[in-house]
Amino acid sequence: MTAPLLQVRDLNLRFATDEGLVTAVESASFELEAGEILGLVGESGSGKSVTAKALMHLNAKNARYGEQGCITLNLGSGPVDVLSLRRERDMRVVRGGAISMIFQEPMASFAPAITIGQQMIEQLLIHTKTTRKQARALAIEMLARVGIADADKRIDQYAFQLSGGMRQRAMIAMALSTSPKLLIADEPTTALDVTIQAQVIDLMKDLVSEFGMAILFITHDLGVIAQTADKVAVMYLGRIVETGPVRAVLKNPLHPYTQGLLNALPRLDAFDEPLTPVPGDIPSPLERPAGCVFHTRCELAQNGRCDTEVPQVVAASDAHAAACHVVADALEARV
Amino acid sequence: MSAPVSSETAPPLVSVDGLSVHFPLGHGLFGDKTVVRAVDDVSLEIRKGQFVGLVGESGSGKTTLGRAMLNAVPVTAGAVVYQDEEVRYDLGHVTKAELKDYRKRAQLIFQDPYAALSPRMTVRDIVAEPLEVMRLTGSREETDARVREVAMRCRLNLEHLRRFPHAFSGGQRQRISIARALVCEPHFLVADESVAALDVSIQADILNMLKSLQQDLGLTFLFISHDLSVVAHTCDVVAVMYLGSLVEVAPTHQLFRSPKHPYTKALLSAMPSLDPDDKSSDQRLTGEIPSPTNPPSGCRFHTRCPVAIERCKSEVPKQEAAEDGHRVACHRWAELHNPD
Repeated sequence: MTAPLLQVRDLNLRFATDEGLVTAVESASFELEAGEILGLVGESGSGKSVTAKALMHLNAKNARYGEQGCITLNLGSGPVDVLSLRRERDMRVVRGGAISMIFQEPMASFAPAITIGQQMIEQLLIHTKTTRKQARALAIEMLARVGIADADKRIDQYAFQLSGGMRQRAMIAMALSTSPKLLIADEPTTALDVTIQAQVIDLMKDLVSEFGMAILFITHDLGVIAQTADKVAVMYLGRIVETGPVRAVLKNPLHPYTQGLLNALPRLDAFDEPLTPVPGDIPSPLERPAGCVFHTRCELAQNGRCDTEVPQVVAASDAHAAACHVVADALEARV
Repeated sequence: MSAPVSSETAPPLVSVDGLSVHFPLGHGLFGDKTVVRAVDDVSLEIRKGQFVGLVGESGSGKTTLGRAMLNAVPVTAGAVVYQDEEVRYDLGHVTKAELKDYRKRAQLIFQDPYAALSPRMTVRDIVAEPLEVMRLTGSREETDARVREVAMRCRLNLEHLRRFPHAFSGGQRQRISIARALVCEPHFLVADESVAALDVSIQADILNMLKSLQQDLGLTFLFISHDLSVVAHTCDVVAVMYLGSLVEVAPTHQLFRSPKHPYTKALLSAMPSLDPDDKSSDQRLTGEIPSPTNPPSGCRFHTRCPVAIERCKSEVPKQEAAEDGHRVACHRWAELHNPD
């Protein structure tokens, strides 16, 4: 078996702030194979975005990575340990070329005073061996590929001249023009209307099958995950609480948090059923619960166990696993 | 989740008749004015005790329509009439004193609970401010009693009242801003994307709270949202807007079980399903919502409509009654309608 494209092991990430070290990610582990879409789901503050940024070493200077954690990329020329990269020059391996990222708000990601084309050409000149002329031709081709009409005219326009959906398409075209092995998409459809979101999701799925790259798809929207991802990792307060194939996780969720999220979600196919909110509020990162991070809101929490002991990850089947004491007990009883 | 029986026959609390709101956008090259037609010839009735949902994409004019009902934007044409047991106001022709009284009867709940609350005021002062501004209470004791009462309704601890907003999470902040809207005992509330900024696990809690407030206090809601599934869960009646026009209005069940307008159908099929095996992309819309400065002629949806014909390009469709309480503005709804 070949090594997966991306392997994250025991990632710990804390931020040094005035109030002390704030834990953002704790013992996160996951893998991503080429051509696969992994959905990273979680609410605000769950640590999904900083996890993704860690893959490209993009977190702010006050980020402190745990000693034992490692992020390994297999880009074809031997494994790269991302966290051990120190010099800006070395980090170019993981930024822009082999890994591309698209963000939630495309207006904030394009420089406002430079044309779309100049930005696309600049990154092609940096990351690939092309001439300016070739780069321009490729940029136009990519814009046309993502469904932008009159790409040869649009390329000389500024970001503000494009509509929201078109800007997100241009963003995707730019991210894909260097033929990355891994695309990180951080809430790429959240700012878009549903009809445009549906178009962008279709586009991304087409591009995966065409380019054969892997996508780490970050979102809070379980519906978007259901329609795009192959695998899901559910995060809560910096911990991955459940991982598994998308069908298994959405149809037979193991972790009480995943179950709670699904019960709280308004659904079009069952709009007569009452919504069940997950009780309580998301705790502040400064008051991180001990033991299982979810125990303060969990109806199944056991005193003296869930509030003190960090649950181990237990597997219900080959790929479907959760970190929960109650799930572990249930699985043990089944054996 | 049946609507209170009385609400379907109750008299309209707010009636919108032929309302247009146009915003001038500076002058063109030859002195001709560009106009944004945010709301164009919209008629809608909201009955007492109803929870009315207003859905549409960004730029469809739903926020402007909501604000027009609160007399917060200048009306170009048409009328908005508010009528409860005590007063009747035609919002186009109200005196200053009447408008002040209307502000007490109709309130707005904002989208972003982070931006809506002043960071320099305690929660108590934020909630009490409308009472003080409108001089609704005689003494500080009376104000405090009222604030405590409304805080309990919105499930805020009394101890929370002394703190500042930064100490609260998104869900708690939204409860504070709901308490502020409720403190002057309004009859009519416009909730503009009031759960859009909240996480899913919190959103359900706020929706349930709004619903129970409506039932306990007999409130009437206009609930503006881009999220069809949220609207399906909370509202009794849903109105769908596209580019300033109302394309379909129907009781929630009818709208979601048998949508008539092609735009409503497209919106429904664009909602990502939670079932990974359900890949309903048959009704996918192409293109984007056109600019409201230069809306398409005829039916405004014809540029993106999968079933548009020649007639749709020239003739503006009228609202037709499809069934009881179900109105649709489309030339072809009847011939395309499948009773099965």
